[in-house]
Amino acid sequence: MTSSLPNRAAAWRWLLTKEWRELLASRAWWVLVALAGPLVGVSFGNAVRAYAEVSAGAGNACGIVCAPLIGIWAPTFSAYEIAAIFLLPFVAIRAVSGDAHSGALTLEIQRPLSPLARVAARAAVLVAGWMIAGLAALVAMALWASYGGSTYLPEVGVVALGHLLNGTLTIALALAIGSVADNPSTAAIVTLAATIGTWVIAFAAALQGGVWTTIADYTPTAMVSMFQHALVQTNVLLATLVAIAAAFVVSAIWLRLYDTAARRWARTAATLVVAAGLAAGAAHVRGSWDASESRYNSFDEADEEALARLPAPLAIEAHLAPQDPRRTALERGPFAKLRRVVPSMRVTYVARTGTGMYEESDPGYGEVRYTYEGRTASSREVSDEGVLETIFDLAHLAPGGEEEEGFRGHPLVATAKGAAVLFYVVWPAVVVGLAILVGRRRR
Amino acid sequence: MPGDLAVPLPFVRVDGLTKQYRRLTALDGVGFSIRRGEMLGLIGPNGAGKTTLFECLAGVRPVDGGTVAIDGRSVAPPGRGVHLFYLPDGIAPWPAQSVRWALDFTIGFFGGDRTKRDEVVGRLSIGPLLRQPIGTLSKGQRKRVILAMGLLAPQPLLLFDEPFDGLDLRQTRDVADVLREHVIGGRTLFLSIHQIADAARVCDRFVLLSGGRVRGEGTADELAAISAARGGTCGQDLEEVFLALT
Repeated sequence: MTSSLPNRAAAWRWLLTKEWRELLASRAWWVLVALAGPLVGVSFGNAVRAYAEVSAGAGNACGIVCAPLIGIWAPTFSAYEIAAIFLLPFVAIRAVSGDAHSGALTLEIQRPLSPLARVAARAAVLVAGWMIAGLAALVAMALWASYGGSTYLPEVGVVALGHLLNGTLTIALALAIGSVADNPSTAAIVTLAATIGTWVIAFAAALQGGVWTTIADYTPTAMVSMFQHALVQTNVLLATLVAIAAAFVVSAIWLRLYDTAARRWARTAATLVVAAGLAAGAAHVRGSWDASESRYNSFDEADEEALARLPAPLAIEAHLAPQDPRRTALERGPFAKLRRVVPSMRVTYVARTGTGMYEESDPGYGEVRYTYEGRTASSREVSDEGVLETIFDLAHLAPGGEEEEGFRGHPLVATAKGAAVLFYVVWPAVVVGLAILVGRRRR
Repeated sequence: MPGDLAVPLPFVRVDGLTKQYRRLTALDGVGFSIRRGEMLGLIGPNGAGKTTLFECLAGVRPVDGGTVAIDGRSVAPPGRGVHLFYLPDGIAPWPAQSVRWALDFTIGFFGGDRTKRDEVVGRLSIGPLLRQPIGTLSKGQRKRVILAMGLLAPQPLLLFDEPFDGLDLRQTRDVADVLREHVIGGRTLFLSIHQIADAARVCDRFVLLSGGRVRGEGTADELAAISAARGGTCGQDLEEVFLALT
């Protein structure tokens, strides 16, 4: 008697079907989908209310304060950041540990198939499950349109892409940790610890600056924040993809049950070293896309063209402590925009303390010194206009052509009519109903 | 030499299989052969290393040394799934899925023979269970479903860990008959059996494992002869032979 295993593509399709059925059988996933509605509902309702208040107060040409990206979509989609931290890891960990503890893994692993192919099947289904939870945001978009709200699809698409990437990263990490850990409780604790670890990095960056700031730029929170402003930066995107791929590879390594733990740890360490190298390389890749309707992340096009032609390096020395709000304003505003367009630019911070509270007596504190082709200029401006003026004067550049007509905003005074019923009653009821129906059909 | 040509090549040859759990030696240079088309019994007391041996053979647990040759060629763990399929004891795979789906998955994923499904379902009396989720089955029902999955899988060698555990006397006999039919049909079975009386009834040959070592290999008669050669006075009774050799 000889064996006749089916081709690998057919086996993979069976694996995919199995993962899908297991997801549908997962109470954790149904809870995630059911809670996505109320979570989005709370965020959306509050956002619509705040947007109406701002619109009523700011008038017809309210500009950036009436941008749906910042006023509606960033807060509405932020519900998925919470879900990705507190719900999604458990769905992924359950998928791994459920198979390990039921004995299903022991059976499945005996069918020759690449471990990466196995991980890919599981990840594909979990990402699909995450996207289904994302349908609640579509309901919010439909409601917003029904109120007469404006939707600029490219920027909403980038926000959604950010949360899709964040979810995929969470799934990848949870699969990796779930594969390494002996039991689901340990995996859950380690996954949450990893998330808290990224918060600690962000905290250290805010308090101490320096290298922590660079590292914090690549945490999931920073990545999501970037996408929530409809900005796609190639370096962050690449680093995220590298992290996702590395986590999938680690998960695959731990599916090689015939390898000793020492060998699997060695392979894991090698994978992490390679991934760290690739991520470090990705950090130097330039390129970005501001998908926001308001050009929230950009200077005027004419100014950007002028800045992009700066032939010499621009050096900036800011005498501001890490916790000084002016430093944050510069970093999130003009410096971030400059970094996207100036070919060669270096920013250094000088501060004796973390808060800057006791440096105010120092006459140089608060100054930002710009050096270009041997010439130096100082300024205390933190606004886009102030920083640009200083640089243009220093570089003997004429400010970019005629001033474009700025973003006028989309003011809308509306109430979140129907949102409460839809998100708090209809959505959970439909999800519970579907869960019961699917459970019955499975038999 | 002509004499060598007469010796049939074993289907599977295991040599020097060693497995260490920190300070505990679970398998200590285990070696034996599996012949094509036989029902080989692995017998040994609790903690003898029977399950560890199966796991190491199937490549679902790392080994510290030893080789597994199939049809004369050494086969590394990732490739063994083409030749053998191990069914652990006490598992409830895909507990939320129905028995029917689990059998279909086994056939589809591993490439079993779909035309045999109804026959295997009938022979193991699991027809009434087909719509039930695996997680809701009793121990004996689950055991029969796992056996069905094994019999539907295409690999020529099946490793069953405690195939009769959880079955009543009638079911044990029925299952033994089904297994014998599959051996007659060309399948090779390697069964780890706790109850020596069950093993004596169904198996052609035996591997005696104790303390991680093989204490004897052969038919009941051959084992009795080994026991006698070592000064034992146990006759043909396998339980007595087992006690004498372990």
